[in-house]
Order: sequence, then structure tokens, then C-alpha cells
Amino acid sequence: MIEADNLSKSFQAGRTRVHAVDGVSFRALDGEITGLLGPNGAGKTTTLRMLYTLMAPQSGRVLVDGVDAAADPARVRANLGVLPDARGIYKRLTARENVAYFGRLHGLDPALIEARITGLATALDMNDFLERRTEGFSQGQRTKTAIARALVHDPRNVILDEPTNGLDVMTTRSLRRFLLGLRAEGRCVLFSSHIMQEVAQLCDRIVVIARGRVVASGTPDDIRAMAGTSNLEDAFVKVIGTDEGLFA
Amino acid sequence: MNALWTVFRKELLDAMRDRRMVMMAMVIGPLAGPLILAGVSFFGAMKQKEKIESVLELPVIGAQQAPNLMAWLESHSLKIVAPPSDPDAAVRNQQHEVILRVTDSFAADWRAGRPAQLELIYDSSRPLQTGTSIARLRNLLEAYDQELGTLRLVARGIHPAVARPLLVGARDVATPQSKFDFAQQLLPYLLLLLGFIGGMQVAIDATAGERERHSLEPLLATPASRSAIISGKILATAVFTLLSLVVTLLAFRLVFGLLPTDKIDMSIDLPWGTLAQLLLVILPIVLLGATLLTALAAFAKSHREAQGYLPLLTFLPMIPTLLLMVSPVKTQLWMLAVPFLGQNQLILKVLRGESISLVEWLLNLLSGLLIAGILWLVATRLYHREQLAASS
Repeated sequence: MIEADNLSKSFQAGRTRVHAVDGVSFRALDGEITGLLGPNGAGKTTTLRMLYTLMAPQSGRVLVDGVDAAADPARVRANLGVLPDARGIYKRLTARENVAYFGRLHGLDPALIEARITGLATALDMNDFLERRTEGFSQGQRTKTAIARALVHDPRNVILDEPTNGLDVMTTRSLRRFLLGLRAEGRCVLFSSHIMQEVAQLCDRIVVIARGRVVASGTPDDIRAMAGTSNLEDAFVKVIGTDEGLFA
Repeated sequence: MNALWTVFRKELLDAMRDRRMVMMAMVIGPLAGPLILAGVSFFGAMKQKEKIESVLELPVIGAQQAPNLMAWLESHSLKIVAPPSDPDAAVRNQQHEVILRVTDSFAADWRAGRPAQLELIYDSSRPLQTGTSIARLRNLLEAYDQELGTLRLVARGIHPAVARPLLVGARDVATPQSKFDFAQQLLPYLLLLLGFIGGMQVAIDATAGERERHSLEPLLATPASRSAIISGKILATAVFTLLSLVVTLLAFRLVFGLLPTDKIDMSIDLPWGTLAQLLLVILPIVLLGATLLTALAAFAKSHREAQGYLPLLTFLPMIPTLLLMVSPVKTQLWMLAVPFLGQNQLILKVLRGESISLVEWLLNLLSGLLIAGILWLVATRLYHREQLAASS
């Protein structure tokens, strides 16, 4: 379970101070897919970066499976599988070597790493490019390698920042199936997206962010009820206040 | 510790798979230094030898005043030629290296038993080009002077030793190694430079490159501590540099071993012991360089920016060499604790085959390692800063 409690973060941009995240709170539960929806620049990536301890929040706190991220960041990172917005892989290493490197960084022993790679390669359909050096991989192959790398330590909690960015339809569909599989295994899945249809289709719970604040959260039904419309799309536009950047 | 080792192994593997980088660091770089140095030294030595042995053309003004001297000089592989009209100008614009003038009163003085005067016209501002020829002529004239002086004394029934109260012998203590002075001036700099920035590409690739290729953020999202990550990268850079250095030293040994030293009267072999000592001297510089490069490159926004530091860093190891060229000083103990300066002096000692005391070794190694250690601490501290990862 991932808990964000009143997170804030601001940056100095020239002379002005930008409040990228301004008091964001939500919970992502085990066995559910939680979607962080918001237009570009709403503060999704910054929020996620605070969750996986890349940045320290200026106020508020992060709990992952009850562990305070400020107190024990290494343990929080060990309990998280993270696919960041930046997801480069090492081009002179094979896909397998890329994944195994992260397995070792998580302190797993070689036999366990091998077993995990075998499982992930099957689930993500990576077997035909697993032993190839990643230079020249397609976007889909790179993303799959990055996801396998993020999950090699079998984390209870999974954070994905815009996972379907740049993927074709087929890969997007298989990725969706994969996320549903993670949910079925009882994991806590949190992903961000600016694509409303995707979030609507996949999520048990939606947190809508705009201008660094949570403007609505709950099940799709809750949000429809809150906005007073039967159409989810209209509901989103209504809670965010604009439809800019919400449609793929 | 485990994470450090993992990062180290991955970075080294990654670097070794970069063909261009390996080619530069392990083949082209190591061969370029010894080939250039050996080539220049060898041809320099050959040229000098050729000058000593070849016939020297000597313009003489007033040669008819001293026919015996001319004959004697010609019998010592000098060729007497007619003088130019303006001797001073001819020497100054390098038409002739040296011109001999026999004074008008030479013949008269000679017959009267007075010192007969000769004059050498030469340009002392070009010692490299003309020094050999001038010294050769001076030696010949001195020999003639002595020979004739001796004959005159004998003719008067005086033992020649009477006029020579002193007998000065010379014993040159330069070992054949220390004669190789051109290489000696440059070799320390070359080795220090390689040890210092030889790992530049690896350091940049592992830090600025990692950020540029967007793989830094996932790496920092693992439980591995940032200190372990940057330490692994520093270590990989250092080991890569060390490998390159070993190959370079082997190349020096090989290339210098192939030079026909019997022809140029210089011994320049680098025995294994010397190579090992050189490696030990440069080791702290390798660590210093790897740490500094990794730290600098970690904060550069891109490959390009990181490479911008290169000229500045190239200059650092040059400073002591330049200082010593301008004002050569006797090695003081404290100098050995100064990075680059100390290594420079120790490399010279090793190359000259001088013995180095334990105190000198310890002072040099410990101060180098201490400075590298401090730099490493600063680098790990800086690597914990938040801006580092959040680049995009």
C-alpha cells in the first residue's frame, strides 16, 4: 500500500516559485489499480518522484507498506517497483543483462534473478529479444525491458509513470493485460497518465490532479456522481475545469 | 559494498564493450606516446651523431696566413671553404654555423713566437642547431694549440709537463639511462597525463552519459545507496585507466626495446622492476583523476559540457613539468607530497635508476591517497544532492 499524505514540492524557476505539488494526499491499496490522472504539467511526475524517494517532499510524508520514506528510503525503494518517466536502458548490454543488473542492485542472488527473468520474459513476451543487445530495440521492446527491470525483485508495490507513452496499440494492450495480472496477484499498482480513456478502462480508483492539487478521487462511479454527469469524460472535464491535454 | 561491486562490474563491462573507447584507450593511445617519443629521440640522436662524424664545411677568412693549420684541420675531416663576403650576416641568417677568421698579423705573430690570434664567428642563441659544430671546432683548435705548444717546449729542452701544472680528468657519472634526456623531460608528463585523464571517456559515459540516456533515474530508484553507486563508477574509471596505463607501459618497453641502441649509445630499456615502480607512483594520480572526473562529469548536464573540462584538466599535470623546466630545483622532501610535482620527481628518479627511500615512497603515496580520499568524500556528498537525478 502506498500512502501520500499532504505532499508539497516547489521549485525555483527564474524569479518565480512554482508550486509543482501543493498538498497532495491519496492512498493506493493492495489488489487495486490506482490511476493518477491529470493534464501535462499537473504535478504527476513530481508526485511519483517523491513516492520513490528521488525527491524529498517539503512537507507531508510518504508511507509504503507502513514504512516512512523519510526515515528509511532504502527500504521503501526495496518495496517498490518503479518505471520512471526516464526509462533508458544500457544499449551495450543485452536485455537479460539489463534486468539482471537491477536484480543484483536489489541484492538478489543469481539463481533467483535467473528464475525471475524467466518468469517476466514469459509474462511480457520478451523471449525473442532477451539475449540481444538493446541497441536498436523498438520503443515497445525497450519499455518491456524497463518494466522487467523494475519488477525483477518481485515488489509488492508498483509505480509506473505514463507507462504507455510512445507504445503502439498492440503493445499497449499487452501492457494493460500485464497490469491486470499484477492486480490479480494482489499487488498495489499506481500509474500516472494523461490519457483519460486508459485510466477509465483500467483503474479501480482514480486520483485526478490539476495544478498540483487533488481535485477529485474515488472510483469511476464516485467521480461521475461528484460531477453530476453520467458520462465519465464530461465528469473529468468538469472536475479539472478544462479539457486541455486530456485526450490522446 | 555489494552494490558498489555490482555497479563497478557493470560499468567496466559496459566500457569494455564500447569498441571505439577500447580501441583508443588500449591500442591507439598506448602506442602513440612511445612511438612519437622514441621516434623523435632516436632521430635526434642519430642526427647529432651524424653531425659529429660528417665533414664540416668551414669558411675561413685569411686561410693563406696559416697553411699548416689549414692542412691540419683538413686532415681532421674539416673542409676549408672560401669565406662569404659578409661573415656576420652569413652566420646570423644561418648560411654557416661557424666561421673562422685568421687575423692579419697571424703569420707574423706565429713566426715571432707570440700568441697568434684566431677568431670564431658564431651565433650562441641557437645552441641546439650549431652547438655540436662549434664545440667540434673549438676542440680541434685546442688540440692543435696543445700539440704545437708541446713541440715548442720540447725544442727548447723543457719537459712539457712544466707548462701543465694541472691535469684535469673528467668522469661523467650519468648512467646510460639518464642520458636519454629528451624522453626524460616528456615521459613523466605523458604518464601523469594518461593516469590523470585516461579514464575521461569512461567517467563521462557512466555519469553524464547515464543521465543523458535517461537511465540514471531508474538506477537511483533501486535500494543501492548513492555513495555505493558513485564509488562503483569511480572504481570502474580507475581500473580502466590502470589497464590503459599498463598497456602503455608495455608499449614503451616494447618500442624502446626495438630501438637500435647500440648505434646511438643510449640505454633506454625499462626493466620490469622499473615498470612496476612507475605504476605504483602513478596509482594515486589514477585514483585522484578517476574521482575528479567522475565528480565533474556527474554534474555536467551533458557529454559535451563534461568534455569542456578537458583542456583545463590536461593543463594540471603540466604545471610541475613546466615549473621545473623554467627553474630546475633540487628535489626537496616536501615536494613529494604535492600531487603531480611529487610524482614527476619520483618518475624521474625511477627513470634515472636512483634509489628511493621508504620515507619518500610513503610520503608520496600517502599524500596522494589522502587527497584522492578527500575528493572522494566530497564527490559522494555531492552525489546525494537532489538536482542530480531530476534533470528532465
